[in-house]
Amino acid sequence: MSAGVDPEARLNLARASVLLVEASQHSADVLAQIVKGFGVNDIHRALTTEEAEKVLHGRSVDLLLVDPSVSDGDGYRMLRDLRHSGGPNAYVPVVLISGHVRASDVARARDTGANFFVTKPITANTLLQRIMFVARDKRPFVQVGDYIGPDRRFKFEGPPPGSDGRRSGDLQAPLGDPAEPNMSQNEIDTIIKPQRVMI
Amino acid sequence: MIKVRTFHPVVRLKALLAQTGGITVGEALSRARQNLDLIRDDCIAAVDSKLDQIGALWQSQSPDRFAEMYRLANQVFAEAGAMGYAELSAASHSLCTLLAGAHEAPPSGAAVHVHIEAMRALRRLDSDESARVAVLQGLRTLAAKR
Repeated sequence: MSAGVDPEARLNLARASVLLVEASQHSADVLAQIVKGFGVNDIHRALTTEEAEKVLHGRSVDLLLVDPSVSDGDGYRMLRDLRHSGGPNAYVPVVLISGHVRASDVARARDTGANFFVTKPITANTLLQRIMFVARDKRPFVQVGDYIGPDRRFKFEGPPPGSDGRRSGDLQAPLGDPAEPNMSQNEIDTIIKPQRVMI
Repeated sequence: MIKVRTFHPVVRLKALLAQTGGITVGEALSRARQNLDLIRDDCIAAVDSKLDQIGALWQSQSPDRFAEMYRLANQVFAEAGAMGYAELSAASHSLCTLLAGAHEAPPSGAAVHVHIEAMRALRRLDSDESARVAVLQGLRTLAAKR
């Protein structure tokens, strides 16, 4: 059973529209059968970026599953263009499903604006976990330089040491010593525990 | 200071997932596996065909053969792996690594040849797990020496 996903949890993808972009017909079949098993009825397939862009221009989709190697690596360009398009699918959740990745493609993959990366061979467990993750992803989208997509940092631990930071919310000075002693557990409990009120 | 715009787009998928009805995660996974079984024979036949094509390309002297072999090996990696042929998938990935830099320097002919033969053997050794593991281990030893 899938780690991290409660097998009794319910999901309803019956009304979701999913676009699968795969370089190989049989890899597309594998993906389609898995997604169909998850209850998706509206599945579109594209074997080239040209086909995928036709679908994306013609209708709204709820999830995009893309092998970036499609059309000789044009999948990376397609995703970046989608994020910059401003169209109805510009911010759709995207899971990048990659096979063997050349070292030169790692940075390109990072900069596409995808929500999550999955490596092949794909399994139903992994794909379902990632779909549920991207649907509930709380990271904001950021537009910085040429990049538009989810914040690539999963944790925010402040600016790097020795740096002033790059965001308006970054603290510009080290935190000082506490002004008051730490609160006791009783004091904390008093604040956060609901109390019975006698009228 | 770099200008950063931060925003939270509406994600329809989140609302759809949470609608009442639907199926449990356990059911979804079970149905997905059953669906994969429906295409298993087709997928394995495609993998066999791609192994033949890789072998034929290797025998040819086409200048584009490494790029096409890489593309096919990458598909075998994904499709054999999805069908549970873990060792064949791993060997295909190793061949991809070997061929990935072919546009800069040709790969070792002996290493490519051994990979192709190992992939064929792994497919033939369908029912002999210990032999498959031994073949893959030999391939990894070879790869480590490169």
